[in-house]
Amino acid sequence: MSEVDMAVIKPEMMKSYIWIQTTDGAIQQVEQEVAMFCPMICQEVIQKGMGSSKNYAISLPQRVSPAMFSLILDYCRFHQVPGRSNKERKSFDEKFVRMDTKRLCELTSAADSLQLKPLVDLTSRALARIIEGKTPEEIREIFHLPDDLTEEEKLEPLKNTTDDPRIRLLNRLYAKKRKELKEREKLKNVEAEEDLVDDRSVDDLLSFINGGDGDSKGIRTSKNKKKHRKRKDQQKCATSNEAIEMHKKESNAVSSLCHNAEVDHELQSSLSETLRLQDAAEIFAPTVEFDEVDNDDEIDPALKEEIDREVEDFARILNSDWPERMQELLSLGQERRRTHLSVNGNGTLKRYGNANAGSIDGNKKDCIVIDVNSHRSMFDVNQREGMTFEQMLSCSMQLVFGLPRVQFQLAKYMIPQTRLCSA
Amino acid sequence: MSNVKQREPPKFPCEIDTELDRISSLPGHVLDQILSLLPIRDAVRTSALSRKWRYKWSQIPHLVFDTQCISTNSQDQTVVKNKLVNIIDHVLLLHNGPIYKFKLSHRDLLGLSDIDRWILHLSRRSTKEFVLEIWKGQRYKLPSCLFSFENLIHLELFNCLLKPPLAFKGFRNLKSLDLQHVTLAQEVFENLISSCALLERLTLMNFDGFTHLHINAPNLQFFDVGGVFDDVSFENTFLLTLVSIGLYVRVKNDQIVSHGSSSRLVRFFVNLPHIRRLEIQSYFLKYLAIGKVPSKFPKPCIDLNYLSIRINFNDFEENSAALCLLRSCPNLQEIEMLARPEEQASVGPVTDFWKDDHWKCLFGQLRLVKIVGISGIRSELDCIKFLLSNSPVLETMTVKPASNEGGWELVKELLRFRRASIQAEVIYLEP
Repeated sequence: MSEVDMAVIKPEMMKSYIWIQTTDGAIQQVEQEVAMFCPMICQEVIQKGMGSSKNYAISLPQRVSPAMFSLILDYCRFHQVPGRSNKERKSFDEKFVRMDTKRLCELTSAADSLQLKPLVDLTSRALARIIEGKTPEEIREIFHLPDDLTEEEKLEPLKNTTDDPRIRLLNRLYAKKRKELKEREKLKNVEAEEDLVDDRSVDDLLSFINGGDGDSKGIRTSKNKKKHRKRKDQQKCATSNEAIEMHKKESNAVSSLCHNAEVDHELQSSLSETLRLQDAAEIFAPTVEFDEVDNDDEIDPALKEEIDREVEDFARILNSDWPERMQELLSLGQERRRTHLSVNGNGTLKRYGNANAGSIDGNKKDCIVIDVNSHRSMFDVNQREGMTFEQMLSCSMQLVFGLPRVQFQLAKYMIPQTRLCSA
Repeated sequence: MSNVKQREPPKFPCEIDTELDRISSLPGHVLDQILSLLPIRDAVRTSALSRKWRYKWSQIPHLVFDTQCISTNSQDQTVVKNKLVNIIDHVLLLHNGPIYKFKLSHRDLLGLSDIDRWILHLSRRSTKEFVLEIWKGQRYKLPSCLFSFENLIHLELFNCLLKPPLAFKGFRNLKSLDLQHVTLAQEVFENLISSCALLERLTLMNFDGFTHLHINAPNLQFFDVGGVFDDVSFENTFLLTLVSIGLYVRVKNDQIVSHGSSSRLVRFFVNLPHIRRLEIQSYFLKYLAIGKVPSKFPKPCIDLNYLSIRINFNDFEENSAALCLLRSCPNLQEIEMLARPEEQASVGPVTDFWKDDHWKCLFGQLRLVKIVGISGIRSELDCIKFLLSNSPVLETMTVKPASNEGGWELVKELLRFRRASIQAEVIYLEP
């Protein structure tokens, strides 16, 4: 070539290009500085040496359509110029993202697959601005989302709309609504779906995660499904056996911690919380949380009530003032006493009746069985003091009943008897 | 309404572009990012959009609970507080995955045992950034589980009391610490600073419980303190480049006499060899002026390019400290001097101070000077004259008096001053 020709060609040749193949198969040349702004392309060029010629064109990822690629190139072309002020860049960005949501989503996807983080940030912010402040219906409309949540699921409370801190009221309302729906459904469906449980109680509403697949755990009303409960109890029994094992090892080391006032307080407060929760459940279930019985046939209601009372007594004892309690113990030695008490609406315990209502019959009734498995999470706050709930409860019981060691059985009511075991 | 329990059939097959749901198929981290940009309320609301979106919000790594997150018309504090507690309990319980950033800053937040519970929960969630602002009430004592946050990188506390357990060995990964209106004991403070080896930014405002600021932090780059303290010293702080110190209480007069020969000013700068920006606020210059102030430092501060001083032009010590400092920083690019005009003359009249020609110093890079709050006394004018005649590349000097009184006289004086820089503009701003 003559020098003149070279002079003409040279300016073009000074700029280097990268060969890129878009998803429609077309191969194009892109200025190097512009294309290298995308980390993914940069990587391909540097690490794999691609893009230098037509045969070795860099193929774009699937999510980058030709239209999106040209948009991204516009973005890169503007921003790779170093001399621009922040103001300029900002105003370019603002104009750049003014597009319909469909393209915005595509652009986000494309930018992400090219690892162009600044553009992903920009489009994410734009999408967030679109979503913010709109109702679910509006958002569904804009993004064409299928409205496939069942009415059931929609009725479940979204935490932000609960105005009323009393969960009980919510439960009542939702239970009512569910009843309505159930009735409506019954009118249409011939088959009564017995196995799909609709009665939701406090635990179910709180454990949002289980909703939707129809399975419900936790408290049930006593009118339904004996079979289900029996199975459930067997499962829980297995876990509680493990708990006993664990507890046996730990109960000895615990007595020294008993005098910690903080422990008392936490125990008291956590117990009163338990009772409060029970109270909530009581709205539906005539039986208390503690009282999930195996078979309705084996325990008669009178015995059930007695068991309830014992549990409440135990709670009362634990909640009573420690100095008072110590006085009692010291003056009476091993003799055990109980008083009747009632649980108020807000969960506080009130003592009424006389102090000598009766004593535990050492022969027949041995063990107060309390199911605490469902309430473990509520006592987590005590874990920072290094004690598990069993430890605390057992050491409290040691003090209360003046026993050298207490073996604590975490089990459901398998046996219609109470038994207080000492090692 | 028919078939309440069944899903509505999907709308159209995918061929028709206009009906396609594109957003749900974005990659998980992008959706997390979008949801993180939404206020918590809107983010959680997306769970009601569709089946796919039901639990998408539960992965967002940032949770911010501030005053906007509750919409209620109730003015009753207890109601709002209960609602807030309820919301946070629900969100934490339903959230799934690590929580990298947690911010709690609500006007009506009071329930202390609730916060304990939440912090315990967060201690299991690899929290990296924790911001807690207690707007009202007394100092909130942080539970010991906070000190077991292994991954903590940024900690910001407002109105809290720190009492770590004895076994606390510091936050290994902490890079940024912001404590405002906090109480902690002296040993706790020193232990905290020296055990967080990666600390890069430290902010302390309005603290009590400790009065000696001994900063031993090899990675520290930014240091901002404002409060009441007895002394401040640095050790091993070679990376410290931005310092802003404000001493909110006047140094007592008896301290001036009792201190020996070494100058606090010189000692202060000995361990800050690479300092770039310095702000001396409130009464800190007075503190620095204690001791025998030399005419300039033995070693100049070559990296300092921004200096802001709050100075009492009536005070001899402060003037000499300021002059010493200015003489020792040849590479200053920007100076700001804020006068404290309400002060009365403390030690004799200050005359002919800045006129001292024996020490010629050149500000070879000084481009911008701001003088604020002056009232036209002699030492102020001399200072301005000094700066004007020693800055050959000065571009702008702005002078803003404290009041309009004597403004005319001031302007007349300013007009006379010789300027070393041809391009210098002296701008008089209205008070």
